[in-house]
Amino acid sequence: MLPPPALRADATQGQIGRFLITCMAVGFLSLIAAGIAAVWANGQIEEHSGWVAHSYQVEVAIADARIRIEQAETARRGYLLTADPVYEGNYRAAMAGLGPSLDHIATLTADNSREGMRIARLRAILGALQHQRDATIALIHGARRDLALAAFERESGGQRLNAIRETFDAMRADERGLLRQRDAKLQSSTATFYLILVIAGVLLVFVAVASLLTVLRYTRDLGASRDRLGELNETLEDQVTERTADLSRANEEIQRFAYIVSHDLRSPLVNVMGFTAELEAATSAVAELIDRAEETAPAIVTEEARDAARTDLPEAIGFIRTSTQKMDRLINAILKLSREGRRVLSPEPVDLAAMFEGVGASLQHQIDEYGVTFSIAQPMPPLVTDRVAIEQILSNLVENAIKYRHPDRTSNITARARREGPRVIIEIEDNGRGIAASDHSRIFDLFRRSGNQDQPGEGIGLAHVRALAYRLGGIIDVESELGRGATFRLTLPPSLSDTQDA
Amino acid sequence: MNDHQSVTIVMIEDDEGHARLIEKNIRRAGILNDIKHFTDGTTALDYLFNHKEGPALNGPALILLDLNLPDMSGTDILARIKAEGSPVKRTPVVVLTTTDDKVEIQRCYDLGCNVYITKPVNYENFAQAIRQLGLFLSVIQVPEIEGDA
Repeated sequence: MLPPPALRADATQGQIGRFLITCMAVGFLSLIAAGIAAVWANGQIEEHSGWVAHSYQVEVAIADARIRIEQAETARRGYLLTADPVYEGNYRAAMAGLGPSLDHIATLTADNSREGMRIARLRAILGALQHQRDATIALIHGARRDLALAAFERESGGQRLNAIRETFDAMRADERGLLRQRDAKLQSSTATFYLILVIAGVLLVFVAVASLLTVLRYTRDLGASRDRLGELNETLEDQVTERTADLSRANEEIQRFAYIVSHDLRSPLVNVMGFTAELEAATSAVAELIDRAEETAPAIVTEEARDAARTDLPEAIGFIRTSTQKMDRLINAILKLSREGRRVLSPEPVDLAAMFEGVGASLQHQIDEYGVTFSIAQPMPPLVTDRVAIEQILSNLVENAIKYRHPDRTSNITARARREGPRVIIEIEDNGRGIAASDHSRIFDLFRRSGNQDQPGEGIGLAHVRALAYRLGGIIDVESELGRGATFRLTLPPSLSDTQDA
Repeated sequence: MNDHQSVTIVMIEDDEGHARLIEKNIRRAGILNDIKHFTDGTTALDYLFNHKEGPALNGPALILLDLNLPDMSGTDILARIKAEGSPVKRTPVVVLTTTDDKVEIQRCYDLGCNVYITKPVNYENFAQAIRQLGLFLSVIQVPEIEGDA
């Protein structure tokens, strides 16, 4: 009744464990994915910021170059008008700064071939422009101001400046376009990042909810199991009492059965034995008659009548007699066992060593006759049990050890006892004929014996010993090898009242 | 000292074989008293209490009682015989049964049984027990004769 739910619980426990582990794995994977996405998105943003800064740098550089060109132009015009050397200084400074400024733009836009081309064109235009400017300034140096002014009027500087401005505008527009493209790319990668985040988040939430539900269900199951366990625990005592009552009822039934059977079997046996005796008496009377008839009138005595009276009848009666006697012994054994089961046990402290000595003394005659060495290993642990029962067990075992000694060697019997944990173990070891392993459990059965059937006995002693051992709350077993002696081990509770309730 | 005044042996025994063996051995012991044999408790009790030749109304008796009977327990019969106010209360009862259970034996003595004999399977013992019963019978005969005289 109990095992199937336990198995099912195991199975679900395993399933739940696997499911939770899967959930956790999925959760961690989504967290890792979110982390990777965050790192990637961060890289994208950093790169983008770098490009934005770059664009602004380019714009600043372009503006710087433009300002220098304009400044140079303004300074040149001032010089043209006033011939003040301060303006010339300004012009030289502006023109000197222009070259590095253009170089700077070229370095910044080295990756952009269009810008490179524009810069080359700018350099060409600027080269021509500078040449013209230098020429006008040289005229002023030479105090040919009128010539310079005329040249200024003639020159196509305005167009050139416009071309420069347009080129710069185009460059700036280009940079702006690039920036916009990069913005769009950033936005799409940001969108991807958010998508990954959302997916990871959803997964996380899903896993969390699933795990939570599973854990909740498992906890609920666990709670239910605990409740059931508690319930079982509470009713355990009742159940034990009930079962014990059942058991003792069954036991009583068996004992009553054994008693009735043995008693009722005995009743016809009385008749069989009684009338066999009557028959025997009658046979002897008939045999006498035959004897007398043989003496007086041998003719009337037939061979058959003589055989019947002298051999057949006594033989038949003899068999009936031995069989009924055996049957009577068997029935008595059953009766004894059933009665032993009903006897009230009275636990008392037992001195095992003294008891073994008593057993030895009662068997002294046999010990002397067969030259048996019976040694009792001292000391022996204290034991509280039923004196009569334990004495019967010990004397039975020692008697068996003497009875089944090995014919070729001196019999040595050793009695030992020790306390081992919550048990007292009593061992009776002999060097006798031993018991084959296949018979180890059989010898404790009623009417079963083992080995050479050269000793009298009905196979009752060990059955009785086992029944007594069980009654004392213990067990008995044997360790033996054929021809190598045997050790009978009786394991008992140290105190009978510990285990005995009923 | 007529025939009807002698002790009647009332044997309540369901097993015909046992009854026969008991009777044979009683006779061998030299007891020649009448033996009334009943195989069940009901007719036996009817005889004991109500029959005009029964011990309640007429003369001394000795009851041989088997405990295992088909219709009622031998101990019940014993209790009825030995009950307070029973007319056959003083009639000696010999319980003869196969049980040698101490509790059962004690119960029979408590109920007022006079002798308890176990039927042994060993026939010699059985015959001897019955013969001893014969001695017992000859002993209890004496006061009855004296009482009548």
